[in-house]
Amino acid sequence: MDESLKHRTVMRVRLICFWGAIVLLIGVIVMLFVPPRPTLAQKEVTSPIYRYRERVATGYYEGYEVSPRRKRAVLEVPTAQRGLFPFGSASAMVQIRTRLPDSHRGLKFYFRNTCIECHPKQARNIHSERAGITCRQCHGPEPIPAINHYYSPMNPIRRHAYVCAKCHEGATAAFADFHVHEPSGTELSTRESFPALFYASWGMLLLFLGTLAFFVPHSFMVGVRELTETKGFKNVTHQWVLPLIERCRGKVRRFLEKKKLPEHEDEDAS
Amino acid sequence: MRTRMLLKRFNLTQRLTHLFLMITFLIQAGTGFSRLFITTDFGRSLSLFFGGYKTAIDIHFWVGILMTAGFGVHTIYMLSKIDWKNPVQSIFGPDSLVPNLNDAKHLLQRIRWTIGKSPRPKLDRWAYWEKFDYLAVYWGMPLLAITGLMLKFPLLTTFVLPGWALNIAALFHRAEAILAVSYIFIVHFFIGHLRPSCFPMHEAMFSGSIHLDEALEEKPAWVERLKKEGKLELAMAKPPARWFRAIYFVFGYTALVFGLYILINGIYYSRYIRLH
Repeated sequence: MDESLKHRTVMRVRLICFWGAIVLLIGVIVMLFVPPRPTLAQKEVTSPIYRYRERVATGYYEGYEVSPRRKRAVLEVPTAQRGLFPFGSASAMVQIRTRLPDSHRGLKFYFRNTCIECHPKQARNIHSERAGITCRQCHGPEPIPAINHYYSPMNPIRRHAYVCAKCHEGATAAFADFHVHEPSGTELSTRESFPALFYASWGMLLLFLGTLAFFVPHSFMVGVRELTETKGFKNVTHQWVLPLIERCRGKVRRFLEKKKLPEHEDEDAS
Repeated sequence: MRTRMLLKRFNLTQRLTHLFLMITFLIQAGTGFSRLFITTDFGRSLSLFFGGYKTAIDIHFWVGILMTAGFGVHTIYMLSKIDWKNPVQSIFGPDSLVPNLNDAKHLLQRIRWTIGKSPRPKLDRWAYWEKFDYLAVYWGMPLLAITGLMLKFPLLTTFVLPGWALNIAALFHRAEAILAVSYIFIVHFFIGHLRPSCFPMHEAMFSGSIHLDEALEEKPAWVERLKKEGKLELAMAKPPARWFRAIYFVFGYTALVFGLYILINGIYYSRYIRLH
């Protein structure tokens, strides 16, 4: 009696251990394959590794804090690094305007100009055209820091939080990658600066032109041809045009006959 | 004169689908173009009709949702129309809107016919331009729906895509809309209203029937097929009532005038279009 009870208990414990192990194994495998929940921008993270990083945080959102990582479509090549001796004394004299604390430093008669006089293309953007936003509302007051200057609010490292989020609540770094001053899609220079936009624009343009270039002349030709066919002829000419002509002709004939009548009388009289 | 024999061409569901698409398309074109041209007098006056710049986008969004739902319902309807016992025949057969090799032949023959070098092609139930009309809308609607949702919810979109995808989405949304509007208001209106055999209006999409002699001239293969299957007697339809004709003539011409208003102003102000 005792023996069998002991045996059953042992078997039960073994079974529980067996199935428990299998469930754990499956759980571990599932955990391996389930990706971590994407960390949304401007969201405090709680895991210890992130809390450790927070202690040495630099004050701006880092790549690991926003999802997805910023993928820049516009490629920038700093001009000063070209040439045989890119780090020579001569290149050190070159001011890279996208990195200056005051991007308009040293420009003559700067305070007599408006932004659009030197940046006419930048004025054509959806923010200023639709929402009436001025340049300074995003780019800030004088001195306007360059886009890539380390402390610039426009620096892609903090642009989403310092500029975009003023209106677009919850803007992420990926959101800030939207190109406000985008190049013209069909210009050849866009192929290097923003290739996706270039190929999309040309694809849609060719589709548009191709569809209309075929169907407009084709439909028109069919219309012209149908006019000469019996059915088209009957439908339009017999129902609409000929009766009109007939009516007009009758009026003209009657009008002419009225005029001619006295002449006939004269001839008869003579 | 025309005979009084009428042949059934569209059933009630198909006609209601076309009516639904017509109304939603015109609202989308009106609200969308009022925003596209908002920097011009045309866009501003058009947007006033839809309650201004901000209300227009709400109407545009909800009608877009309605349109997408209609697209889903229509897809289910099309799937239910496939004969699943013999799917190949029913998908690639003459009653289907899927293009096949015959359409290319008909197209070439019809081009030669327009210059008088060949007899009319013997078209079946759906001609190649009707298939193009249908499929152009069918691929355009998901494209517009997806890019439209991306632009409506930019923050959600940028959780999975980089921000410059929004530039591309805006470009696709506008370019496809302009293509659709140009095609419908130029080519589709010409085929349905101005073509001599249809002047002043092709009534098949509203009354559901076409004249037998018209079908014999334009779609002889279809009539022959119906005769061979012995379905011609069944496909005969009654002429539409006078009051019904009056209603759809007024409705069709209202749509035509609205479309031409958008088209002419759109061409006149085309230099103000910003594609992205």
